[in-house]
Amino acid sequence: MQYNPTIGIETHVELKTNSKMFCRCKVVDTEEPNVSLCPTCLGLPGALPVPNKKAIEFITLLALSTNCKITKQGMFHRKNYFYPDLPKNYQISQFDLPVGINGSLKIVLNDQEAEVAIERVHMEEDTGKSTHMGTGRIDSATSTALDFNRSGVPLVEIVTKPVLKTSLEAVAYIEELRQLVLDLGISEGKLEKGNLRFDANISVANSESDVLGTKVEIKNMNSLRSLERAIDYEIERQIKALNNGEIIAQETRHWDEGKEVTKPMRSKEGSADYRYFSDPDIPNMVLDEEFVNIIKSKMPKLPYQKRLELMQTGLSIGEANILSKSNDWIVKLFHDVYSTTKNSSSTYNWITGELQGQMRKVEINELPSWFKADSLSEIINLIESNKISFSSGKVILAALLVKNVTPYDVAKEQNLFQENDSEKILQIVKNVITENSEVVVRIKNGEDKLIGFLVGLIIKSSGGSINPSIAKDLLSKELEE
Amino acid sequence: MSNQFDIDNVSKLASIELEETEKNKLSQDLSIILEHVQAISNLEFDISVDEVFIHPLEKQLNLQEDVVEEFLTHEEALSNAPESKDGKFIVPPSME
Repeated sequence: MQYNPTIGIETHVELKTNSKMFCRCKVVDTEEPNVSLCPTCLGLPGALPVPNKKAIEFITLLALSTNCKITKQGMFHRKNYFYPDLPKNYQISQFDLPVGINGSLKIVLNDQEAEVAIERVHMEEDTGKSTHMGTGRIDSATSTALDFNRSGVPLVEIVTKPVLKTSLEAVAYIEELRQLVLDLGISEGKLEKGNLRFDANISVANSESDVLGTKVEIKNMNSLRSLERAIDYEIERQIKALNNGEIIAQETRHWDEGKEVTKPMRSKEGSADYRYFSDPDIPNMVLDEEFVNIIKSKMPKLPYQKRLELMQTGLSIGEANILSKSNDWIVKLFHDVYSTTKNSSSTYNWITGELQGQMRKVEINELPSWFKADSLSEIINLIESNKISFSSGKVILAALLVKNVTPYDVAKEQNLFQENDSEKILQIVKNVITENSEVVVRIKNGEDKLIGFLVGLIIKSSGGSINPSIAKDLLSKELEE
Repeated sequence: MSNQFDIDNVSKLASIELEETEKNKLSQDLSIILEHVQAISNLEFDISVDEVFIHPLEKQLNLQEDVVEEFLTHEEALSNAPESKDGKFIVPPSME
């Protein structure tokens, strides 16, 4: 039987504010536990939570950039559950009146633009971090150690509609969302630090059915690679189970990175009945037109807009997508170099390939202060006009990364300018033919691969300065005669 | 009105263990409360005329500027903890 998978993604994004969501404790990035705390984020009785203005501006920016409808009269709810990393026994979150609803995000999938429907974007607070002590196994821990530095850090949850079909689509969505929060400047967006965390809801259904299958939630995927593998594994597991006549249980499963399988998770104590009710400590949050317009005016260029601009230079959507997800200086360098070369393909290849490769080789993350876009344009133009060879271009680029010189100076100093004068090259070609008459005979008898040998000799006897393609053409003509 | 809710589920969600006698007593008390609340559903009002009221507070929310302030020292934060180790609060084992 044919089955269709359906995937929905819930993403938590930690916002880049100075202070926490409902108190003024500093958001810290430290291994030192419990150093940024107050009665509010410790959940002590009598504390009064007051939302962070910057966080509300950030989530509004995110909701607007994902085309969400902004809820004018929003409010905060209490999501009740008992777990020691949440000392007040409820998380302040949003329920039926989130900041944004019914949005969409443009992504690039298989070199085509696609759109992912967003159900909601809501504001909440992070919990503390728990470490299970004892034997090293969660289920036989002797105690739980708690660090509340993260408790109360502003989190935005973005929930897609169940519209994704493959793991690759899910990965493309997360890549786009990550770039979006980076471009908006609202989060560090580092997966390895947990700034961006995601869960996947997966179901499979008979392809002839209009009804979605039973939803299984997958947690604990810490990288894009684990997201892709966990989704693929889970889809296959569910299809196998259905083919065996089993019933899929609605449950939360945990991705086991080492074993590359999903396993049922113990459910949180009690049940997932969160008994939401409006938080009486926090009055209604009104996001009026004036506020929304101010936020709109702060909207930077979005990833899809950057892509469009790059495509207007002639890049493919795939190339534009890769470049738009690079550092800002790389995108700027591309536009600056392209403005002189007008050759998007060469500019793209030099920047994404050679330049970044050489920077890795000399272990630098930023261009040296003296390195100007014009220098790279000059290298590309010298190659395009056959004044230097492609490999000489690489030599010049390497020199530019370590010292303050111009491409012209390097080419001159290292004798890299090519001889393009056909008369002069022909003379060298004729000399080489005369000196290697036996090789010429063998070529005429069908040993074509020896042509390369002669080209090598020609270049060598010129001191490496002649244009190899002209030399090759002239050699072929001479051999035909 | 009779007992409209599952007292076992309520006690489970609240993480409160109840004796049988307590369950009976609480079931009765909570039923009376529910009955009072039920009266709200019986009210008649016209949302095209009456103002919709979605929050118990009429006050509009003031947001706080994103400015850091210091409150508790590490020692103060841990001073009430029944148990702590390596700067962390220690609680009975719990797992997801």
